[in-house]
Amino acid sequence: MTEKLLFADIDEPGLHTLGVYERRGGYASLRKAFSMTPEDVLAELEASGLRGRGGAGFQMGKKVSFLPKGSMEKYLVCNADESEPGTFKDRELMQKSPHMLIEGIVIASYAAGAQRSFIYIRGEYVLQADVLDAALAEAREAGFIGEDILGSRHSLSLVLHRGAGAYICGEETALLDSLEGKRGNPRLKPPFPANQGLYQGPTLINNVETLSTVPVIIRMGGAEYAKLGAESSTGTKLVSVSGHVQRPGNYEVVLGTPSREIIYGLAGGPPEGREVKCWFPGGSSAPVLTAEHLDVSYDFDSLAKAGSMLGSGAIIVVDDSTPILDVALKVAKFYQHESCGKCTPCREGTNWTVKMLQRIELGEATPMDLEIMASVQDHIMGNCLCVLGDAMAMPISSIISHFKEELEAHMERARLRPAETLVSA
Amino acid sequence: MSAAAAGSDRPVDLEKSAAEIPDAETTEVPEKLRAEIEAYMARYPDPRSATLPALEAAQRVHGWCSPQALEQVACVMRLTPAYLESVATFYDMLETTPVGRHSIYVCTNISCSLRGGDALYAAVRDAAADEPEEFNVRSFECLGACDIAPMASVDGVYVGPLALEDVPRLLDDARAGRRVLVEKQLAPRLVADTQANSREFPPHPPQEPASR
Amino acid sequence: MITFTIDGREVRAPENAMLVDAAKHGDVEIPVFCYEPKLGNPVGACRMCLVEIEGIPKLQTGCSTPAKDGMVVHTQSERARVAQQAVVEFLLINHPLDCPVCDKGGECPLQDITFGWGAGTSRFIEPKRHFVKPLALSERIAIDRERCILCYRCVRFSQEISEDNQLVLVERGAHSYVATFDGHPYEATFTGNIIELCPVGALTSRPYRFRARPWDIEDAGSVCTLCPSQCNVTLTVRDERVIRVLARDNGEVDDGWLCDRGRFAYPALGGLPATAAALADAPAAAENGAGRITEPMIRDGGQLRVVSWERAMTEAVAGLRRAGERVGAIAGGQATNEEGLLLARLMREGAGSPHVDSRAAGTLELELHLALNEPRLQARVSDLEFAHAVLVLEGDPIRDAPILDLRLRKGVRRHGMKLIRATREELLAGPRELADKLAGAGEEIVVLWAERLTAGPDGSRAAAALLELADALSLGDVEGAGLLEIPAHTNGRGLREAGVLPNAGPGLSDPAATGDASPTGRDAAGIAEELAAGELTGLYLLQSDPLLEPADREVWERALERAATVVAHASFLTEGIREHADVVFPSEAYAEKEGTITHPDGRLQRLRPAVAHPGSIRAEWSVIVELASRLGLDLEVLTGAMASAQLFESVPFYAGLTLEEIGGKGVRWQEREAAGAYPTREQLV
Ligand SMILES: Cc1cc2nc3c(=O)[nH]c(=O)nc-3n(C[C@H](O)[C@H](O)[C@H](O)COP(=O)(O)O)c2cc1C
Ligand code: SF4
Ligand code: FES
Repeated sequence: MTEKLLFADIDEPGLHTLGVYERRGGYASLRKAFSMTPEDVLAELEASGLRGRGGAGFQMGKKVSFLPKGSMEKYLVCNADESEPGTFKDRELMQKSPHMLIEGIVIASYAAGAQRSFIYIRGEYVLQADVLDAALAEAREAGFIGEDILGSRHSLSLVLHRGAGAYICGEETALLDSLEGKRGNPRLKPPFPANQGLYQGPTLINNVETLSTVPVIIRMGGAEYAKLGAESSTGTKLVSVSGHVQRPGNYEVVLGTPSREIIYGLAGGPPEGREVKCWFPGGSSAPVLTAEHLDVSYDFDSLAKAGSMLGSGAIIVVDDSTPILDVALKVAKFYQHESCGKCTPCREGTNWTVKMLQRIELGEATPMDLEIMASVQDHIMGNCLCVLGDAMAMPISSIISHFKEELEAHMERARLRPAETLVSA
Repeated sequence: MSAAAAGSDRPVDLEKSAAEIPDAETTEVPEKLRAEIEAYMARYPDPRSATLPALEAAQRVHGWCSPQALEQVACVMRLTPAYLESVATFYDMLETTPVGRHSIYVCTNISCSLRGGDALYAAVRDAAADEPEEFNVRSFECLGACDIAPMASVDGVYVGPLALEDVPRLLDDARAGRRVLVEKQLAPRLVADTQANSREFPPHPPQEPASR
Repeated sequence: MITFTIDGREVRAPENAMLVDAAKHGDVEIPVFCYEPKLGNPVGACRMCLVEIEGIPKLQTGCSTPAKDGMVVHTQSERARVAQQAVVEFLLINHPLDCPVCDKGGECPLQDITFGWGAGTSRFIEPKRHFVKPLALSERIAIDRERCILCYRCVRFSQEISEDNQLVLVERGAHSYVATFDGHPYEATFTGNIIELCPVGALTSRPYRFRARPWDIEDAGSVCTLCPSQCNVTLTVRDERVIRVLARDNGEVDDGWLCDRGRFAYPALGGLPATAAALADAPAAAENGAGRITEPMIRDGGQLRVVSWERAMTEAVAGLRRAGERVGAIAGGQATNEEGLLLARLMREGAGSPHVDSRAAGTLELELHLALNEPRLQARVSDLEFAHAVLVLEGDPIRDAPILDLRLRKGVRRHGMKLIRATREELLAGPRELADKLAGAGEEIVVLWAERLTAGPDGSRAAAALLELADALSLGDVEGAGLLEIPAHTNGRGLREAGVLPNAGPGLSDPAATGDASPTGRDAAGIAEELAAGELTGLYLLQSDPLLEPADREVWERALERAATVVAHASFLTEGIREHADVVFPSEAYAEKEGTITHPDGRLQRLRPAVAHPGSIRAEWSVIVELASRLGLDLEVLTGAMASAQLFESVPFYAGLTLEEIGGKGVRWQEREAAGAYPTREQLV
């Protein structure tokens, strides 16, 4: 299916400017939303079935409805930290269609009753942040942000906040701490941000893509949007495809499209003569799937049933030329490097896993070590303060179970290698 | 990290006094930096939220988050320098040891490494090895541009896919303060999805980040 | 109260108590490292306390999950046990096995938890992380980073309790470590608390390092008398020496914290050789670096010389006889209530002199004094935390009574208390206007005022203004509101209540009523003037050296110069004693003392001797009793307990108290029935 909602005009020159965006119908959804009550806007969001595009896939409308009613100071935070390896869809949206995000934020804040909002963008996205800053200035100037927006009596401030390089700041509570000027350590939940988030106030946190979809939903109507896609995975999704494919990049697909169609049909599949060895369906935190799973429907529930997850919608393809140990090491090292260090199982577990993998690489491991490594993953999973630990344990566990033989064979070979070849490793 | 690691193995200097919030009377802060930090502080309900932008600003002035830089930020924000050190060492883009003028982050995370990112990093690192004051070459986690893998961010500008042959020109451009590898910049690329866009559009003109 | 099930047992516990606390009601222990309620809300970082709760798929942290009615919790199920063993295994990955040479050995939560909840083996064979160890973190604290388990307790203390923000975690993940900025030492008022908070041997006391192992030591509970905060302490004793001072949690006094002076000044209490820093803080000892006085001395040819007790007694009695009624006495702030009472009797009944004082700020009319200390007007320490607002009047808690500073910070941070400061000038300019300013903050207001507010010629006016302020704010009628005075000296309140005032007897009674002596006693400043003028000839100093008080130094120099007889109880040869005392009785340190003191909020607390008297030191009270006896007055005290009993009899509003009732946590007299015996203004003529 070729339904394009977010990418309909994505490359139109000047779309990032207010003039072109408005000419393309921009901010019409905002006017429409203001003609409705906040409750009705919320009802549309709930009807759309839109699930969060940041990783956890929680229904957006439901999350908005969790915010307490009343006149206290509420906040909306857009998660633009996009640091999940393999993910680069929010970057495309922010750079090319920043006003769509801003419009979505204003509408969502209206539904949620939030008067202050922030976009937390990863510090590495310099160009995208600059584009957003310029768009924000235009939107302020035009009265889409500020006091009494378009005579609606709804007011909203919007501040762009640049991060400084830490994957964990994508985790929503770590993001809040970081936004408050602290180290980006996740917080204990409960309390959840909807009750006690930024500056202790009720806070709605959504991903860039989620919020950018809001104007589309208001334009189409929630029920109409929900007709797209698979059951309980409605609408379209931006999928970032990377790794061993011929046409890496972002694709907008209707949820429920067969994975093979995305990997082979859209992204061109692995280079000539190579086969898919394994693939991460939702960023490097997702358990790997193998070639057997290529026909799984690309939606939240089907991927979960297949033993993985849709996550951020980032497909990383690994072909059969790559030793699985290299993949495991890359993944484990990343999480070791990014663990905030606050909780024990994640801090020590990621570190220990890397050390074990390095020993396997060096030929200093025995098959017992695979067992230990698998058990360490079990000890991490479900026991950490946030899910960063799980985000390593899940793919590593899946790699151990899918590729046990290859890993054992590697250990055996490495142990038999003459010592001098190991020095360079 | 190296100087910081040494910090962990160094006893405190008992001759020094406690590092409290710096005295506003005696701490000199460049006027522009002070104004910039104060403007950030005014943007948030709680001024402490300005910590990251303030540190980033001080890093631009001092080249890194030196003790002096931290003291200046601490003075304006009325925080202790230890607090700021704790924050600065948490984030990869804040440098807590002196570094070269031009930051080159080479992505070596999974998608880039599947396409040669590790070799690219090694090549850039080796080529820049003799100019530590000029270049700060770092192997970086996923920079969110796996579509142009293997890639690098040169002073904030994304370029890729890079071949090993691109390395000398990349360094030359950076050294000279020119736009790096213009034809390899991410900014003008169209989306990969050929079915996207209701009409045909030409590639975007290259854009330099405004904030540098 | 709710009922929940833990490990098969039905247990009743307060609703919403965290599971780790609720479990204790059923004698179940859930292991913790990062959980420490004193540090604020749980952070759930160490994951040691994972338990299984029926109906919840993931294991939950017992430190942050409130107990609910009907909840079924398992701490020993297979899943819970595996998780607990896993966390212990993770924590031991980098923890060195240097327990045999670690000061924490034997009193180490990590050892205990490893023993109780660990698997007993580790599968980790890689090298551990290495740091140079141990390093100085400050003059007083050593840090051993290899032992640190990154529980966050110490840095949370620095950030959220003392709010000095000097101790932080730097770097990220497995590279994180505890540090200060750029090689600066961790120096602040309360740093030593992190030693006690650390659940491993990563932070240790430098003066205590390698002094003892837990099996060589004994613990003794007492009260620190180095300032009016009167924090509760546990003294670690080895071979009759205090080698360590620890906090002893009393929510109504110190909240479980201790300041560095209280914690580290113990070498000056007769223990170890002092470190430079400890010495600097030790009372008076720094003056000339002299050690403790442990033998009686008399002045002989201009020099003090050690003599026998008999000789010293004889000299003192002779001197006091010569002075007759023309003697004055001053009790220092570390004296106990009993010592104060007996001293006042010695003066009033033995020598016939009304000139006794203990109040640094000078005399206040008895009427004002009574009004300011009226029971219903007195705030408690805990009120500082829960009040809507606290007005700090002319004081600096961090200097006057450091531990109160932490309480005020806690009030502001956790309960939104408003902290307001005002000067004496503002009070004098208009107490009603000041009250108006406070009125908006809420009803429960505590005025924390320093004794020096009422010093000097305007003292009475300030006291009257303070009463007017209290009246305007109806402080006496609101629960949780009131006045709290910080006296200039530790036991200022108790000594006054015991009658060590020129214008009041025991229980703040009007001395005119008893007829023991003429009511026109002189206060300390008056005593100095009269000594200087030759009107008085004798001076009795109970743990007091007037030359250490900067105020009236010149007069005092002349007074001491001229005094014919100066008898002093002292621990150190500070200037006044060294140059002017004719007889010196070696004085007890608080660790050696028996008796009671009264906290600024009226809480009677008990001092218990933790170590024997060094040298030939004798109990202060017994020295006074013997002097009295030689002067022909039988004070009827044969033991310390008898002295206390006499105190409780003499002060009507202490009536019926016993040492047992005071116990380890103290008793506020205002909360007892006998408080009704407090003299009212009307009772004064
Ligand atoms: C370690 C970690 C990293 C995350 N990184 C991101 C991120 O970069 N961007 C994002 O939108 N969500 C990220 N998330 C998910 C957020 O916590 C949160 O679920 C999301 O922002 C909610 O928005 P959504 O409901 O619109 O998806 C991350 C979660 C974890 C545990
Ligand atoms: S030094 Fe001690 S208290 Fe501080 S984090 Fe380490 S283990 Fe915890
Ligand atoms: S005690 Fe519960 S997580 Fe540390």
